[in-house]
Amino acid sequence: MRELFHYQDLIWDLVARELKVRYRRSVLGFAWSMLQPLMTMGVLMVVFSTIFKFDVKNYPVFALAGILFWNFFQQSIVTSMNSLKSVAYILQKLPVPMVVFPIATIISGIVHLLFAMVPMLLVLLITGHKIGPSLLFLPVSILIAAIFTLGAGLLLAPLAVLFSDVIELVGVGLTLLFYLTPIIYPISIVLGHRFYPIVHYNPTRSILEVFRDPIYFAKVPPLQHISLSVFLAVGLLLIGIWVFRRFADRIPFYL
Amino acid sequence: MAESPIVELQNVSLRYRLARQKVPSFKEFIIHAATGGLSYTDLWALSDIDLTIERGEVLGVVGRNGAGKSTLSKVISGVLKPTKGARHVRGKVSPILELGTGFDPELTGIENVYLNALLRGHRRTAIDVKLDSIVEFSGLKDFVHSPVRNYSTGMVARLGFAVATAWKPDVLVLDEVLSVGDASFLGRCHERIRSFCNGGTTVLIVSHSPQEILTHCSRSIWLQEGRIVMEGSPRDVLGAYATAAGDTDTQALLQATAPPAETPSVESSAPEAPTAATA
Repeated sequence: MRELFHYQDLIWDLVARELKVRYRRSVLGFAWSMLQPLMTMGVLMVVFSTIFKFDVKNYPVFALAGILFWNFFQQSIVTSMNSLKSVAYILQKLPVPMVVFPIATIISGIVHLLFAMVPMLLVLLITGHKIGPSLLFLPVSILIAAIFTLGAGLLLAPLAVLFSDVIELVGVGLTLLFYLTPIIYPISIVLGHRFYPIVHYNPTRSILEVFRDPIYFAKVPPLQHISLSVFLAVGLLLIGIWVFRRFADRIPFYL
Repeated sequence: MAESPIVELQNVSLRYRLARQKVPSFKEFIIHAATGGLSYTDLWALSDIDLTIERGEVLGVVGRNGAGKSTLSKVISGVLKPTKGARHVRGKVSPILELGTGFDPELTGIENVYLNALLRGHRRTAIDVKLDSIVEFSGLKDFVHSPVRNYSTGMVARLGFAVATAWKPDVLVLDEVLSVGDASFLGRCHERIRSFCNGGTTVLIVSHSPQEILTHCSRSIWLQEGRIVMEGSPRDVLGAYATAAGDTDTQALLQATAPPAETPSVESSAPEAPTAATA
């Protein structure tokens, strides 16, 4: 921990580097982080308000809030898994605390998420959605989501180095998780279905709802939801730290 | 009470474990683990190394390729953790392990100076202060603004050495870094190493150049197949190593530089009969 404080400038440098790489390659640059979720929302809007019909009031806001959370979660995990491999040339030559790389990934993911919140506010305004002071709770939601995601990243990053197919496995796993989390559909539609318990007890759902409630329902989530999500996030982080420390010493041998 | 040594390796062994199975995938790991078919080829790069280095000492490491010299420097630097045994380093280590020492070829020299120094745990403000002197020491002038991929090996080494030694470390690890610079740069490197030593820095030099070991080191070890086969004055160790390797150049160098009227010292432990003396 003390060591991390020591390396704080390194972490910020890595964050800046990652953001630069992310935006440099595209013509639209920063605009992409705002456009991509909007376009996904557009597609979902067409699909789910014409082909399948969900009884969801102002579906665009519902879907967009979910997509923002999911993009952050999914992209951060995938980038974390590659974060150690991509700096093999460093880890073999300098004694750097490896944990700085997944941490920098999560922080740049948060920055990316914050950019993507801008068009969401526009969507809220345009659709005349209720905007309340509950939006001020979002920093807490994002923090909880970030802790949860960091936990997942720390858990998976060393495994991705040790086993070459973990990245693909996790890719499939994330697709499955996407559909088992009520992101693009309201949980009410699976009510009574045999998959319902899975969706209901899915930890990612708690994290998602603590993020989405302040936006979509314009209310601060109930205290027991918040405490459950904090518990899940901290729990996953502790597991992640444990796995990361357990395998960290072996990582330089496998890069 | 005596000050505890700055570097202490106790019974350190390090194993490279090479899986016999081809792709180290998770799927295959599960399959092999389930069928009990996981097998490895173990390669012990270091075996039972006991080594103590005191503050201000300059230790030279000699040995053939594959003897474990680079692995030893990685363990002391903290890049690799020993499989068995304990490593204690009581201070800040600054390693230069191989040329380039973690430079990103796409970044410019300046950008790499920042990245590299940050990776070594320095603060941005501290780097701002040192930047000019680093660039000056490297002697790269305007080249520092172009990407490192355009650099020659010597230029990369200069910049690497300049960054790694911009701050006085407690332990400086140099793995084959001084072999590529030109004479004037080497002169500056030697000067800097000397001033570090006088200031109490411990230096580990891995080198194939007997001249370098003789010039700098106060003590030397000879590694063979991951074990320390001899420890003693650089002159004695180099002599024994050269004899075993049939290296007449080194023997001549030792003879030419021998201090007058010195009785050959025999105190240092004699090496075990070297197994492969034909060079």
